[in-house]
Amino acid sequence: MATKMLIFCGSDAPQKAFPPFMVGSGALAVEMELTMFFTMSGLNIVRKGGAEKILLPGAPMTLPQLVKTVQDMGAKLIACSAAFPIVGMKQEDLIEGVECGGVATFVIAAQEADVVLTF
Amino acid sequence: METAELEKIHAAKVVDARGTACPGPLLEAKKAIGTVSVGQTIEVWSGDPSTKKDLPKWAAKVGHEFLGVIEAEGYDRIFIVRRK
Repeated sequence: MATKMLIFCGSDAPQKAFPPFMVGSGALAVEMELTMFFTMSGLNIVRKGGAEKILLPGAPMTLPQLVKTVQDMGAKLIACSAAFPIVGMKQEDLIEGVECGGVATFVIAAQEADVVLTF
Repeated sequence: METAELEKIHAAKVVDARGTACPGPLLEAKKAIGTVSVGQTIEVWSGDPSTKKDLPKWAAKVGHEFLGVIEAEGYDRIFIVRRK
């Protein structure tokens, strides 16, 4: 069974928003299963048009490129719907391929993961 | 279970958790399952789109049986049988 990594993405600050994708794409490259959970301002990463606005000069790729990379490599992206009202978004604002999930989804994924990272 | 079959179920307890977002519906479901007997069904109503993903996972984890979801107008009706 593949090793599992879960990454908690709770911020859209560039220096917090980029590293999960760098680590995550590395995890996928070594054939780990990757789940990424987005909440609070981290939801802006998976909001339509959101990743484009998060810029980190000097980073090897743009954030939309990183998001697409992990999606293409099979990562599961989960958005915390309870935080939608906090950041003023709706389910239909999510980019394609992102599912909604709640605290049970996160906690069970954390329990079953071999590695859990928070940013 | 298909919607038509779910519609025939008479839940022992119906919980309207539409006023709350996660973790409200999960906590309501946990409370409700404790009020019915083993073998009886609870029905949880939730307007949070995550609940229909969360409750099956919770049920599988703690040993109850998820029967299915009816998608109603603006909310989901989620059916779970107490199994322990």
